[in-house]
Amino acid sequence: MSESHHETKSGPFELIFNNLPVRTVLGLVLMFGGSYVSKNYQEVFEQISHQYGVPVDLGKTVATFGVFLIIFPLVNIFFIKPLADAIGERNSTLEQTFGEAEDLKVQMQKMRSEYEARLVETEADARQKIEAQIKEAQALRQTLMSEAAQRADELVARATQEIEAERNRVLTSIRTQVVDLALSAAEKVIAENMNTERNRKLVEDFISQVEVAR
Amino acid sequence: MQDGRVARRYAKALFGAAKGADLVRGVEEDLDIIVKQMKLDPTFKHFILAPYMSREEKAKILTKIFSDRVTSLTMQALRVILDKGREAELEAIFHAYVALRRNDAGIVYATIHSAVLIDEAQKKSLIAALMKSLGKTVEAEFKIDTTLIGGVKVTYENFVLDGSALGAIEKMRERLRYDLLKQV
Repeated sequence: MSESHHETKSGPFELIFNNLPVRTVLGLVLMFGGSYVSKNYQEVFEQISHQYGVPVDLGKTVATFGVFLIIFPLVNIFFIKPLADAIGERNSTLEQTFGEAEDLKVQMQKMRSEYEARLVETEADARQKIEAQIKEAQALRQTLMSEAAQRADELVARATQEIEAERNRVLTSIRTQVVDLALSAAEKVIAENMNTERNRKLVEDFISQVEVAR
Repeated sequence: MQDGRVARRYAKALFGAAKGADLVRGVEEDLDIIVKQMKLDPTFKHFILAPYMSREEKAKILTKIFSDRVTSLTMQALRVILDKGREAELEAIFHAYVALRRNDAGIVYATIHSAVLIDEAQKKSLIAALMKSLGKTVEAEFKIDTTLIGGVKVTYENFVLDGSALGAIEKMRERLRYDLLKQV
């Protein structure tokens, strides 16, 4: 059905060129007819040549056309078809190459968009991490500063306490020395002023005030 | 070398015998004489402690020296001490005997230090005051200690009654130090 449709669409020129017997017969007719015309009407052609300055031999031309029609299948087989195949192969290779290039382009664009998205994501992540690190560093700084301040306060308090303790110790030592000196002086004075009567009085006082630890 | 346990054992036996014979003070005085003799006369002490003399010989000589001056109980105890080779313990036995006698009679032994020698009347007054205060008989030994400056210091058992000038000064020193420490 498709063939008949094809046939109906093709014109007389395609019918001649696609049908080998018709083409061969037509070629033979043209070849012999042309040779006949060339041989029998040569004077007419020479007159035209002299008149217009153009050497024309219509019979030879028609004969050549007939020969062409006869040898067309050979030309087709050995020249046109391989050339058409090569061109088709070349075209398909080019199409494939263009397709691959297109695919690569699409892939590249996809990769680029992915890369850009990833870059954005990485940048955001990096920014977030940097901000987190900054916050952490600030918190650490705050902690260290507060610890340092606390430690400094403690040191100051301890130093104050130690100074106070040392001051008290020195004061106590001085006072104790003063007491010892005063009592040593008192002891000397008492010893120098002690006599039998005073000693007797001391013993009597002891006797009268004796207390027993019982 | 003196052994306190051995001395106490001998003293206890001797004190029991003396108490039974009602010779407690007499035996103590006998021992006092012998110990004082040992302290005062180094030759006598050397003779008592000499290891090269036999016990019989020592007993014979001691009998000659002390038989008319000490009680027979004391002589008998001396012979036993010599027989057992415990002559080095004589002084410790004497002190243990005195302690047993005082303990048995409920007597308190006090040492009284004074800066200068105190007269007998004051000694008696002091002992009487102590006896009154303690409610017990007091035997006192008086010693001179010039560092006290003045007054007396009585020591008995584990107690000290300080009535000396030095004691008063030390008391004041302690009180002042206590007040100073309280101020800090």
